[in-house]
Amino acid sequence: MNQFLRDLSPAHQVAALFLLVFGVLAIVSTVTFLISLRERRNAMHSESWRRELKVFQQLLSTTWFMVVMFWIGWALGEGVATLLFALISFLALREFITLSPTRRGDHRSLILAFFVVLPIQFILVATARFDLFTVFIPVYVFLAIPVVSALSNDPHQFLERNAKLQWGITVCVYGMSHVPALLLLSFPGFEGKSAFLVFFLVFVVQTCMVVQHLIARRFAYSPLDAGPRMWRWLQREPFAPNVSRSFNWVSWAVGMAIASVVGALMSFITPFGYGQALAMSLIACVAGSMGHLVMKALKRDRGIPNWGPKGMGVTGANGLLDRVDALCFAAPVFFHSVRWYFGV
Amino acid sequence: MLAKLTGWLLLGVVRLLTGAQARWYGCPPKAEQRIYFANHQSHADLVMIWAALPEELRSITRPIAARDYWANTPFKRWITTEVFNAVYVERGGAPVVPSAPAASASTKPAVPTLIPTERIEPSMDPIEPFMIQVPPPAPAAFAVKAVQLPLIALPGTEPDASASSAATATASDAIASPAAEAADPLAPLIEALTSGDSIIIFPEGTRGHTGEPQKFKSGLFTLAQLFPDVVLVPAWIDNIQRVMPKGEVVPVPILCSVTFGAPIRLEEGEERRPFLDRARDAVVALRSV
Repeated sequence: MNQFLRDLSPAHQVAALFLLVFGVLAIVSTVTFLISLRERRNAMHSESWRRELKVFQQLLSTTWFMVVMFWIGWALGEGVATLLFALISFLALREFITLSPTRRGDHRSLILAFFVVLPIQFILVATARFDLFTVFIPVYVFLAIPVVSALSNDPHQFLERNAKLQWGITVCVYGMSHVPALLLLSFPGFEGKSAFLVFFLVFVVQTCMVVQHLIARRFAYSPLDAGPRMWRWLQREPFAPNVSRSFNWVSWAVGMAIASVVGALMSFITPFGYGQALAMSLIACVAGSMGHLVMKALKRDRGIPNWGPKGMGVTGANGLLDRVDALCFAAPVFFHSVRWYFGV
Repeated sequence: MLAKLTGWLLLGVVRLLTGAQARWYGCPPKAEQRIYFANHQSHADLVMIWAALPEELRSITRPIAARDYWANTPFKRWITTEVFNAVYVERGGAPVVPSAPAASASTKPAVPTLIPTERIEPSMDPIEPFMIQVPPPAPAAFAVKAVQLPLIALPGTEPDASASSAATATASDAIASPAAEAADPLAPLIEALTSGDSIIIFPEGTRGHTGEPQKFKSGLFTLAQLFPDVVLVPAWIDNIQRVMPKGEVVPVPILCSVTFGAPIRLEEGEERRPFLDRARDAVVALRSV
């Protein structure tokens, strides 16, 4: 079996990978759907359990969406994939800016961010100008945005407004643009398989986030109601309750460990060795989960439950940024670690 | 065909830029005859609320558009009539004092420069003459005559999107004179309502700068009296002024939403000002939903 897979052409290998992922997803979705049907006919579980199921179904649908996107991107070539990520980046930045208080004086800077910086950054990715693509936002845009702001003659909260805009651009545009950049890395002996690298990164980071999410949900800390003894070590107090009510080092470490092992097991689809894949997954997961925490702090600061359209929080629908923020932080770190270590 | 295509294209652009999200809080989207009244912050309000309505309601709902802005180029005129199916209203008539620069098309009353203070209602109840139920297929001219009364009989109130400054000056004998009739800003709205369409109006009459809606003008009250069966739905358009502030031409992508609230109605014997304040409060209350 293994030999058979190794003998396939790169394109066939990628196709096989997608087949596998779609298969797993289809099975999980079917099971979930059947459970929800059964629940609808005669409820066996409590209200909270049903809510959990809803949340899980949402996660599942997001995953479906992501995988289909990847598949389209891979099937239609790197240009289309880059375009897809540019669109995601646009929508994420739109959410971010919506929830940051901007004033009339920011209008020109916002136009610059959306209609100049974002396209240029992704064009640089698509044309593989790595040196410029790495410094374009941190150097040139970092200076250009405040200049445009200053010219608009509005000093009110100048630093804060500009910092927010810079932050939005760094996370949503700079971070996101490193995902399609992985497609362009050329490892010797790994030609035509860069899609695997993107898949590897996204899969590992998503695994880490989902595991942490599930642990936090399942073993929520409550001082009165300690669970069974064997799971008590997972029910820790939140480490920074003002920022995140679910984050604690233990569940975080468990998420890290599981995701890194998954990454190591997937090492055969990457150009990395076993240990290298483990280390790379660890780096990506640390960056991703910490980035998620940072974005949570930003949300707390704005006083909102999640990104996305106002008032959707009560209906339970989340914004796009909640889904991709970990990826935005993980991608640049992962990309530059890989480039530095392998010298590609 | 071309109009439909433009409509689709515009809808796509608006959705991409703003999300154009409708939030139905107080009432479901339903194909009954309605008057939506909303806050007014930007010319794009018209486009926004048009894009937020579901497909089925969009065809039977006519937004109002200020003629001096939406009809000053052939393209704008085409898109307003063909795509939005809008009702043109006049605002800001020719200023009587020539020295006043007509740069801002705001609805300044021509003679007094101060904002007119709230007038005490006259004892002679002006509501009586047009408590006549206007049957829906009534000729519009009749309805217009009825509406003339409040505009004329109450001089010194806020001029109603006011081309009627001339009319307010000569208060007594201008009733249903042809000039005043032509100047009545409500006539096209009444026509649209009489033919069974829903309409979208901005009772502030002008775009606000501050985010706080200004005082509502009395057009809403008049329409509520003439059409007691039409449901009055308040709406709050959020964030649109950030997409396109006054004086900017390029919009920036920011999520916007239109929140529709619970319908209000004109109570039996309710006075004009309390009703308008109540309507304004209903709109403002949606901001924090």
